[in-house]
Amino acid sequence: MAKQIERRPAYVEPSRFRTPHMGRAIWAVLRKDVRSELRTRYALNALAMFALTIVLVVSFYLGPRLAPRESITPAIQATLLWVALFFAALTGLGRAFVHEEEVQTATFLRLNAPPAAVFVGKWLLNVILLMLLSVVVTALLGLFLNMRIANVLMLGLCLLLGGFGLAATVTLLAAVIAKASARSALFAALAFPVVFPQLVIAMLATEQALTGAPWRAALPQLQGLGAYAVAMTAAALFLFPYVWDA
Amino acid sequence: MVDNMVTAQSRSPLSWVPRVAKVGLTFWMLGVVLAMFLWVPPYEGLGNTGRIVMMHVPTAWLSTFAFAIAAWYSIVYLRRRQARDDDRALVATELGFLFSVLATVTGSMFAKVVWGSWWNWEPRETSILILLLIYGAYFALRSAIDDPDRRRQLAAVYALFAFVSAPLLTYVVPRMYENTLHPNCAFLPGSRCNGITLANNGVGQLGDQRLQLLNVERNGDLVTAVVDVSGVGFSNRTTLRPTYNRATQRQVDTPNFPDSRFMLALQGVDETGVQLNIQAPGNTSQRGNVATRTTLFASLIGFTGLFFWVYNLRTTLLGLQRRVEARGLA
Repeated sequence: MAKQIERRPAYVEPSRFRTPHMGRAIWAVLRKDVRSELRTRYALNALAMFALTIVLVVSFYLGPRLAPRESITPAIQATLLWVALFFAALTGLGRAFVHEEEVQTATFLRLNAPPAAVFVGKWLLNVILLMLLSVVVTALLGLFLNMRIANVLMLGLCLLLGGFGLAATVTLLAAVIAKASARSALFAALAFPVVFPQLVIAMLATEQALTGAPWRAALPQLQGLGAYAVAMTAAALFLFPYVWDA
Repeated sequence: MVDNMVTAQSRSPLSWVPRVAKVGLTFWMLGVVLAMFLWVPPYEGLGNTGRIVMMHVPTAWLSTFAFAIAAWYSIVYLRRRQARDDDRALVATELGFLFSVLATVTGSMFAKVVWGSWWNWEPRETSILILLLIYGAYFALRSAIDDPDRRRQLAAVYALFAFVSAPLLTYVVPRMYENTLHPNCAFLPGSRCNGITLANNGVGQLGDQRLQLLNVERNGDLVTAVVDVSGVGFSNRTTLRPTYNRATQRQVDTPNFPDSRFMLALQGVDETGVQLNIQAPGNTSQRGNVATRTTLFASLIGFTGLFFWVYNLRTTLLGLQRRVEARGLA
C-alpha cells in the first residue's frame, strides 16, 4: 500500500500541471482524514458513545413504561432520531477543522490542496460518518423504544438526503468555529438556525416513512431535503475559500 | 481626513436635506400614530386590538429587509474587503434584531388577545424566531473572534450562509405546517383567498376547519349554504349558514367560526357548487378600508425612513469609532 503512494503522488502541485487535479486532491484529503480517523478513532468513538447516550437518556425512563411491542408516537420517534443525529453531528463532526488548527496542520493543508478539495474531502468524510451514525441511531431506537419502520427505503432516502445537507452545513460551520473561541457552545448556536428548515422537513419525512405514508405524500419532503442539500452544498463550496483564508 | 469629509458635507448646498428629512419624518410618524388611533376605524370583532397591526406589519417587513441588506453588504465586504461594508452589514443586523423583537412583541400581544395565547407555533412565528436566532448567532460569532479582519470575514460568511437557508424557511416551512393563523389574504374584506368549491355533501378544508356542505337553500335571490363545520378532531362542531345575494353579488351574512373571530363567507354559486371562503373580520365600510390601507402604507414608509435614519447614524458612528481606534493605535 505504501509503495502505491510513492509511485503515484496523491496531489501534484499546480506548477507541474496547468490545473490542479481536483479529483485526485479530494481523494488525497479524504484518504488522509480516513486514515487519521482510523488511527485515533476519535470521531467514531465520540459519535457512537454520544448516539448511545442520547438514545439511553431518552429511553431509560420511557422504555419501562411501554408495554411489549408498544412504542411512542412516530412523531416523537422522528424527533428523537433527528435530535440525536443533530447533536451527535455537532459533537463528532466539528473536529474536522478544529483538529487541523489545534495541531497546526492547517497551513500544510492550505499549501498542498486547493480549498474546494479540502472542503469536499472533509464533507465526504462527514457524510460517511453521518451515514454510519444514522444506521446506529435507527438501530438503537428500534432496540430500546421498539421503533418500527414501515418503509425502510423511504427512511433510507430521507437519511441520505438529510445527511448530505446536514454534513455540508456542519462542515462549513466547523471551519468557521475552528477560528473562534468558545467553540462547542458557539457551534450549536450557529448551526441550529441554519439547519432548522432541514430538520423540520426531515422530521416530517421520517414520520411518514415510519408510518408508511404513500410515496406521493412524502415526495415534497424528499424534494425539499434534496433542494436544501444542493443549496447548502453549493453555498458552502462558494463560501469555504473565504473561511479557509481568514 | 475625517474632519475634511464632515465639513465638506455640511458645506454642500444640499446640507439642508437630511435636517428637513428628519423633521419631516418626525411629523410623519406623529401623523401615523394619530391616524392609527383616530382615523382607522376599530376592526369588527377585534375592536381596538386590531390597531397594533399598523406597527406589527412594518416592523416585521423591516426585520426581513434588514437581513437582505446584511447579506448584500456581506457579499460586498467579501469582494472589496473594506471595513465600512462590514459596518453596514453589522448595523443592518443590529437593526434587524431590534425590529424582529418589536414585530415579535407586537404580534405576541395581538395573539394573546385574539387567539388566546402568547405563542402559537404558527409558521410565521417560527420563522421570525429563527430569524432572531440567526441574528443572535451572528453577534455571538462576532464576539468570539478577536482579530478584526477575521471577525469581519467570518461574520460575512455566516450571514450569507444563513441567508441561503432562509428562503427554505419562509417558503418551505409554512407549507409543512398544516394551518396558519396569519390571515394571508383575508386581512381586508374583498380580498380573495383561494377558497373552496363544494358540491352537495362535499367535504373540504379551510384553514384547520373541516367543512361539509349539507344543503343549499334558495329564497329568491338569496342563497344560503348550510355547512357543517368542525375544528381539529371534530371539536367545536356546529352548523353555519352563510348567505349570499345573487342579484347584488354581495355577502349578506357571514357567521363566525365557533370560538374564532374568523368568518365563513359564501362567495358565489354556480352549477358545480358553492364557493366558500374564510374571512378575517375587517372594516365594514369602504371608507374604513381606505383609512386602513392609507395608514398602513404611511406607517410602512415612516418605519422604513426611521430604519435608514438610524442605519446611517450608526454606520457613521462605527466608522468614526474605527478611525479613532486606528489613530489611537498609531
